[in-house]
Amino acid sequence: MCDERGAAIEPVAVVSNERVADDVGRVVFDAPRTAASIAPGQFVHLRIARGADFILRRPFSVHRAYDGRLEILYQVVGRGTKVLAEAIPGDVMDVIGPLGAGWSVPGDATRALVVAGGLGAAPMGMLVEELAAREVDVTFALGAPSAGRLVARQLFESLCRRTLVATDDGSAGTCGFVTVLTPEALERERPDVVYVCGPEPMQRIVAAQCAEAGVACQVSLERLMACGVGACLSCVVATSDGLKRACVDGPVFDAATIAWEPSGDAEVAG
Amino acid sequence: MSGRVDMGVRIGELELRNPVMTASGTFGSGREYAQFVDLSRLGAVVTKGVSVDSWAGNEGPRIVETPSGMLNSIGLQNPGVEQFCENDLAWLAGQDVPVVVNVVGHSVDEYVAVTERLDAEAAVSALEVNISCPNVDAGGMVFGTSCPAAAEVVRAVRRATRKTLIVKLSPNVTDIAEIARAVEAQGADAISLVNTLLGMAIDTRTRRPVLARGFGGLSGPAIRPVAVRMVWQVARAVDVPVIGMGGITDARDAAEFMLAGATAVAVGTANFMDPTSTVGVVVGLERYCEAHGIERVAHLVGAAWPEKGL
Ligand SMILES: Cc1cc2nc3c(=O)[nH]c(=O)nc-3n(C[C@H](O)[C@H](O)[C@H](O)COP(=O)(O)OP(=O)(O)OC[C@H]3O[C@@H](n4cnc5c(N)ncnc54)[C@H](O)[C@@H]3O)c2cc1C
Ligand SMILES: Cc1cc2nc3c(=O)[nH]c(=O)nc-3n(C[C@H](O)[C@H](O)[C@H](O)COP(=O)(O)O)c2cc1C
Ligand code: FES
Repeated sequence: MCDERGAAIEPVAVVSNERVADDVGRVVFDAPRTAASIAPGQFVHLRIARGADFILRRPFSVHRAYDGRLEILYQVVGRGTKVLAEAIPGDVMDVIGPLGAGWSVPGDATRALVVAGGLGAAPMGMLVEELAAREVDVTFALGAPSAGRLVARQLFESLCRRTLVATDDGSAGTCGFVTVLTPEALERERPDVVYVCGPEPMQRIVAAQCAEAGVACQVSLERLMACGVGACLSCVVATSDGLKRACVDGPVFDAATIAWEPSGDAEVAG
Repeated sequence: MSGRVDMGVRIGELELRNPVMTASGTFGSGREYAQFVDLSRLGAVVTKGVSVDSWAGNEGPRIVETPSGMLNSIGLQNPGVEQFCENDLAWLAGQDVPVVVNVVGHSVDEYVAVTERLDAEAAVSALEVNISCPNVDAGGMVFGTSCPAAAEVVRAVRRATRKTLIVKLSPNVTDIAEIARAVEAQGADAISLVNTLLGMAIDTRTRRPVLARGFGGLSGPAIRPVAVRMVWQVARAVDVPVIGMGGITDARDAAEFMLAGATAVAVGTANFMDPTSTVGVVVGLERYCEAHGIERVAHLVGAAWPEKGL
């Protein structure tokens, strides 16, 4: 339908679907084409069910891709993710992917800090695998509202030199938002690059901390998306270079270019 | 089997190889969807609205899904007509498909300025004057909801171009046929309808409107019965061709619009769910005609009218 690495529509079959944390599921799809072509930080646009009832697809980051399979971590928040949580092996859906611009790893990077809040851990699986393959020394700062909502901790612990944990209620690791961990990690680890995903206020705080420390920072921004391919302009992000589309120019952006929304009380770890 | 049905239709001076177009604002400039769709299989590509200078559009959130539809308040973000010609149009010119450019403005003068600029472009096959966008404060729908204002815009742009002039109407009016007659009288070569219906969604958790601007335009299958009714009313009230749109997802939907009196149709929101929807409609319409023994797709136009009885 198009060139080798470009986006395409691919029918995908559910291989497994299970709960991995409170309100969080992990679905594995058999999706050979997309799995072979996707890069860390890119996403797929998933058609959850057929019929006129769902008008839009749902965008999901790919957590891991291996052996023709895609692993997606999803939080049950609304109608679509509720139906997704009920999917059973053999169910067929379709994805458009790979979409968007993912994380970039500078060729000379030797140390990286990865910061994830809540489901912000989702796009970090492929990233830490890539960093590990390049022998980059990684510190991971993982946050969640409570111990029961920490996701993918084992994967990160197995691939990163250090994994720091923070929970809002103190049920695991340091008590507080993940942003309490980052100033010290920046100071101690002196990373060449920082990768952040999570609620936008949290990303804004980490971006400011990185700017102050003079460290390059990449963020993955979420926007409501209709087309996912750059045509509808529903997903725009204000940057120093004008309005950009999260679906094709992002979702990963250089944090220094983002014109952050001013925001008061930050729900920084949800 | 295929190729037996004459799929060609005519809109003003424009000969289309089939009646299926893209709906403005849902298909970018065609480039974004060219990875999924062979554009040369479409009747025409209709671009996003273009103004004189760049428009930033509205604050986000700009969309929300609703029952069988979606609301958008994109607000006609576009790079301005010069940038548009340099980038999007230059690319489209190399594709084997007629190009219809959607024209917007804050004022009659701005509509005229965009029209004059595009009149000079050989790659533009027709203009679709959008006097129906619900998502901008000045311009847009303001011109499409009163007969004198609609007539004034159309009179002015008609003088500025010899190209086929399509006027796109808003469904947010009490008497659509009256507006249609007013723009026909000023020289519109065709009328497209409908643009989105004004709607609203409120987040019960935050107790605030979901869209940053509060109201937005409703599109998708939810609006199809309203759109079909309006196509029926307008097609019976005017002599120029009508281009029907609003919730078309497949050939059955498209046939419904043509039976109601549309000469051509446009596919919008359905592209988001299935990027290949447009081609699906083309193929399906041809099959529908074959199955019903219809030699020319144009014979479907208005065939549901009582006096026709196909
Ligand atoms: C690039 C990108 C990657 C994402 N990756 C993940 C991920 O890995 N895991 C995960 O759990 N979530 C992810 N999200 C968010 C996810 O898309 C939404 O949670 C999901 O679409 C909600 O669907 P729903 O039907 O349950 O909710 P509803 O509220 O019923 O959704 C209604 C509509 O809003 C859209 N929508 C709602 N919330 C969001 C949102 N936060 N972002 C984008 N669209 C939204 C849906 O697509 C749908 O069209 C990502 C979003 C983006 C933009
Ligand atoms: C995201 C979005 C953007 C749109 N932008 C425009 C536009 O720039 N100009 C215009 O005339 N109509 C615009 N429309 C309206 C569509 O062209 C179409 O009239 C409407 O969506 C109904 O068709 P549908 O239900 O098939 O989508 C837009 C619609 C959507 C959903
Ligand atoms: S989702 Fe349509 S432009 Fe990004």
